[in-house]
Amino acid sequence: MDLLVQNFLVAQSTGQGHLLSATLLPESPQDDPNRLRRLTSSSTVHDIESDLRSSLLSTRSGIHLNKAEGNAWIDVYVSYFRAATEVVALSERHGNSDHTSVYDAWKEMANTLIRGYSSGHFQAWTIPCLYVAGRYLRIFAIKADRHARSGKPVTYGSGMSGDITSSISKNEKLEDAARVINRIFQLCISDRASIENSRKWGLYYATNLLFKTYFKLNSISLSKNILRALSVSVDTPPESAFPRSQISTFHYYNGIIAFLDEDYPTAETHLTQSLNLCHKLATHNKELILTYLIPCHLLTTHTLPSATLLAPFPRLQKLFQPLAECIKRGDLSGFDSALAQGEEEFVKRRIYLTLERGRDIALRNLFRKVFLLGGFIDGGGGEDTEQAAKPRRTRIPIHEFETAIALSMDSHNHRLNKNGNNNNSKLSNGTTTKLSRAKIDRDEVECLLANMIYKFQNLMKGYIAQTAGMVVLSKGAAFPGTGV
Amino acid sequence: MASSSSAAETAKLQDHKPDSSTPNKDAEKQAITLEEDDEFEDFPVEDWGPEDTEVASGSAHLWEESWDDDDTSDDFSKQLKEELDKVKAGREK
Repeated sequence: MDLLVQNFLVAQSTGQGHLLSATLLPESPQDDPNRLRRLTSSSTVHDIESDLRSSLLSTRSGIHLNKAEGNAWIDVYVSYFRAATEVVALSERHGNSDHTSVYDAWKEMANTLIRGYSSGHFQAWTIPCLYVAGRYLRIFAIKADRHARSGKPVTYGSGMSGDITSSISKNEKLEDAARVINRIFQLCISDRASIENSRKWGLYYATNLLFKTYFKLNSISLSKNILRALSVSVDTPPESAFPRSQISTFHYYNGIIAFLDEDYPTAETHLTQSLNLCHKLATHNKELILTYLIPCHLLTTHTLPSATLLAPFPRLQKLFQPLAECIKRGDLSGFDSALAQGEEEFVKRRIYLTLERGRDIALRNLFRKVFLLGGFIDGGGGEDTEQAAKPRRTRIPIHEFETAIALSMDSHNHRLNKNGNNNNSKLSNGTTTKLSRAKIDRDEVECLLANMIYKFQNLMKGYIAQTAGMVVLSKGAAFPGTGV
Repeated sequence: MASSSSAAETAKLQDHKPDSSTPNKDAEKQAITLEEDDEFEDFPVEDWGPEDTEVASGSAHLWEESWDDDDTSDDFSKQLKEELDKVKAGREK
């Protein structure tokens, strides 16, 4: 307890918010693994209040808290002591991970703290205490819920039957925690004090905490409410005035919200900002950002991650490399099987539907090959660089696209079919080839072509001359942005 | 969504290791990571200088074009050309 008192007094006299918040940690620091235990054994829940009163508020303490402020801090530390006692008690009950009582005690501490702010007793520099309260409230809630879900309740003290327990939301404590954290957010956003002494400095931390909580609860719409509240909040300092950790996190969640709304340009902006600000060694976070940024890039700028970008992330490499290669090659069957291969993970990450749209890019590349093979109007083959100045053939029979699709849908099957009947695949020897397996309707081909040409896609420029059975492509930029 | 993906997970586990004696253990492990690793972690430090940001660590050549260069000599293009020639020959007959 001496250490707590000492740090409290130093923090109060120097105005160091983080030092103050460290006195409220419900766990021991790594370099002092017994600190919490020492604290809880230095007093009892009955004596703690008088103990604290004599040390924190004595005239010898050297700090001048007014009476109400002092009492409010005593209340906070008394409730903190109770919660710490629960934490220590839980750690001593080996094999028991039921965090319910820890959660309840910690929530009491958080509410006591919040009350101190809403009654105007605590100054704005102390807000890191709110961060600690909110952060651990969420952690304890998740642990309590996980235990409740695991169906191994230790006591049936209240005589609840299993049926009743299971009918309660599986995230009961986390939902409860969300309400408390929301009060912390409200404390920050509603502060009208001048900015140097405003709780608005806690806005991004509180927002991020809410985002994390709402995402876990799958209540993305609640996150949007927070964003709306933020956007109309006046006098919020510029983002650059906040710590990079807070802003990088903020943009990550903003990006995901836009991503789930299928607003990919906005998502890309936020995710890029998040990545740029992210600490270079925070591999896990960078990987998460890229998980969403890569599909965004595919749709907005039609670009793929380079090998350099993926190299430090084996998981991303495994996820995206096969798709990227198939897209580049215009390999439709390869794309389909790569998508199916990663489906489980893609669905889990909610990027499946976005990636699926990458098939259009693969198709564009396939059609582009048809166009390139068409060569030039005067010459035959398109490989001769000396003919580069000549105009390319821009009137292309639809059946050529049809053949290309059939081949692209089929080729992979042959490659996979290594054992036995791969006779069909030997196209180069000029013997019979069958494309029957990947037979595709003419109508379907026309539909795919029309979709390519559809203006919002901007993948292909031209029109379909249906009666002539031709696609007439733009002379200047048949495949915008790809050099032809 | 969660239930369908876990169903897929189970199906996959069965697919790949039908004779595995500890499928449950694997599934459990997967379930835990599923919950944990999707979350943006708290950074170990609150703030850092611009020199420690990702953008400063050199992010050139991270994105590349989504199409192969104009090379029409790859296997697929060769196959396609043969196919097209064949179709053409068929039509001209």
